[in-house]
Parts: sequence; C-alpha cells; structure tokens
Amino acid sequence: MISIFLNDEVMSIADGSSLTDVLKRRTIAENGVALVLNAEVVPRSRWPHIMCQQDDTLEVFSVVAGG
Amino acid sequence: MAVTDKEFLRYSRQILLPEVGEQGQNRFKQSHILIIGVGGLGTLTAQYLAAAGIGKITLVDGDVVELSNLPRQLLFSKEDLGVNKAQVAAIKLMRAYEDCEIYSYCEYLSAANTNDLFSSKPSEFDLLLDCSDNFDVRQLVNLQAIKQGITLVSASAAHFQGQLLSINQQISPESGCYHCLYPSDMSVSQTCQTIGVLGPMVGTLASMQALMSLNLLLDVDVLKPSLDETAAKTKINGNQLLGKLFRFDGGKFTWRQASLLRDPNCSVCSA
Repeated sequence: MISIFLNDEVMSIADGSSLTDVLKRRTIAENGVALVLNAEVVPRSRWPHIMCQQDDTLEVFSVVAGG
Repeated sequence: MAVTDKEFLRYSRQILLPEVGEQGQNRFKQSHILIIGVGGLGTLTAQYLAAAGIGKITLVDGDVVELSNLPRQLLFSKEDLGVNKAQVAAIKLMRAYEDCEIYSYCEYLSAANTNDLFSSKPSEFDLLLDCSDNFDVRQLVNLQAIKQGITLVSASAAHFQGQLLSINQQISPESGCYHCLYPSDMSVSQTCQTIGVLGPMVGTLASMQALMSLNLLLDVDVLKPSLDETAAKTKINGNQLLGKLFRFDGGKFTWRQASLLRDPNCSVCSA
C-alpha cells in the first residue's frame, strides 16, 4: 500500500494503482471531473496509464462553467 | 501613435508603472478585445478594460437583462430590464469611458455566426475573453481561439468556485486547449442558475481576468511573436500566465495553480 493526498486528505491505495483506479475506488464518474497531479493537469486519456507514487498530490475537481 | 496630454493625465497611475509606461498605455489604446458573454463576468471585465484605456471592445450576448442579474451585474439597473445586455453595456460604458470604442453584437455566439464575427484575416482581435455562462459556448469559444490563433483568457464562477486560464495554441502548444482539460462530453453540474453565486465571487474572477488580460497585452511576445522587438522588452512575462489554470475557492479563500497539458488525443487541438 502507498498513501497519496486526494484533495488534501490522505488516502491509502494499492501499489500500482492508476489514476483511473483512484477514481473508481471513490466512485467518481470519469466524465464529471478533471485531475491535477502534483500541480500539472493530466488529460483524461492519460489516466489509465499513470500510476500513483507515494506522497503524490492529486486534485479532483469539476468544471465551472458559470459566468 | 503617442499618448496625448489628456490621456497622460487620465491614465497617470497606470503610466507611472514601469511595466506599463507610455508604451504600454499605447498598447492598450491600440488593442481590440472580444468579450463573449456580458453577464456577471463580462460586464465587470469590460468595465475594467474600458476604464484602463483599451481602444476597442466588442461585446457579444443575445441575452436580455433580468431582475435576478442585478445583484452581481453591477452595470445594469432596473431601467434596463428586458433590453439586450451587449447593447446596454456598450451604451453605458461608452458614456463613461469616451476613449474606448465599444461594439455590441446582440446575438449568442453560435457556430452559425462565428464567420460573421471573425470575418477579418488575420483576426482584428488581440485577445478573446470567455465570460459565457454555459459549457457548450465555452467549447465553441475555445475552437475559435484555436482557429483564429488568438490568446484565450477564460474565466468562470459558480457557487464558491472560480476558475481562470489563458492559452494560445501557437505560442504554447504543449499546454493544449480548453477541450484537453474539459472534454466536451463532460457532465456539468455547476452553473449560476442551478447552484447560485454571490456577486463578489464573480467580481473576483472578473478582476483577475481583466488583470491577466492587461498583463498579457503588455507582453506582445505572448500575443504576436516577434512583432515588435522593443516592445517585447517589458518586464511583464506573459509566459508565466499562459498555459496555467488558476482555481479559487471563495469559501476557504484558497488559490491553486496548475500547469495545463495538451492531450495528444484531443479532437480539437490535436486534430
């Protein structure tokens, strides 16, 4: 197991978990959010291919479209 | 084109800034900014830009002023109810800021009227500001920014969340586009109509959008590469702003910053 920060909260996940796995674990719909990993946006097509590392900082947020 | 004596007095607090000076003020005067959406963001951003001495602003909105707009769309009053927003805003801003020519386009931006708005080649617009209130229009604005090669400054606000980003495909293609961050099949839950918003929340994002726009104009390198080598030596580095996403939480008062990244599979900018 490794621990990461998901929106400032510590989360334990299995070693080798992808960004997609993290969202599944939290039952977050993939088409409802954008991801920032260690201060860099990760486009959705890359989520299955990026494995979380110990102490990664992950931010999950929705689009804001109002104005 | 030199700054006149009257302009020198009016904009003295701006010209005093070494990052602006007469050269920067002239740059503002020669700029044309296109603003899509004249609601909470658009009215305030347009007012800041007109007041700063931007030479031309084009306002685009097909909506009319409603009572529920008045708590945050401060340019409007109850006498304006039922009148087109772009039209009212243009009249009021031109009255207050005589140095600024303001054009109103009283229709919603749509795939059908983009040719009309972007008829001149190369584009007459120096910046494209997205102040719209829905996701579909935001995708269309992004597409036009790419097609026209204009820097996009996109702001949004709803509930206690605000987002701001600027991108230019020609200058920093590695940052991708709005669609790389938010693909068009995303589900959108946060709009002002469905979850509400406070006036100062929108005002915060509008101020940041206007400031970012002025900063980008001061760095011509970011707008039109190697157009003017002397003007490019300003101290503002627009490259620090381009390709960044800023998120503001108005409940916790926190700002977060992230670098945008191109999606190699993006159907809009990688096509």
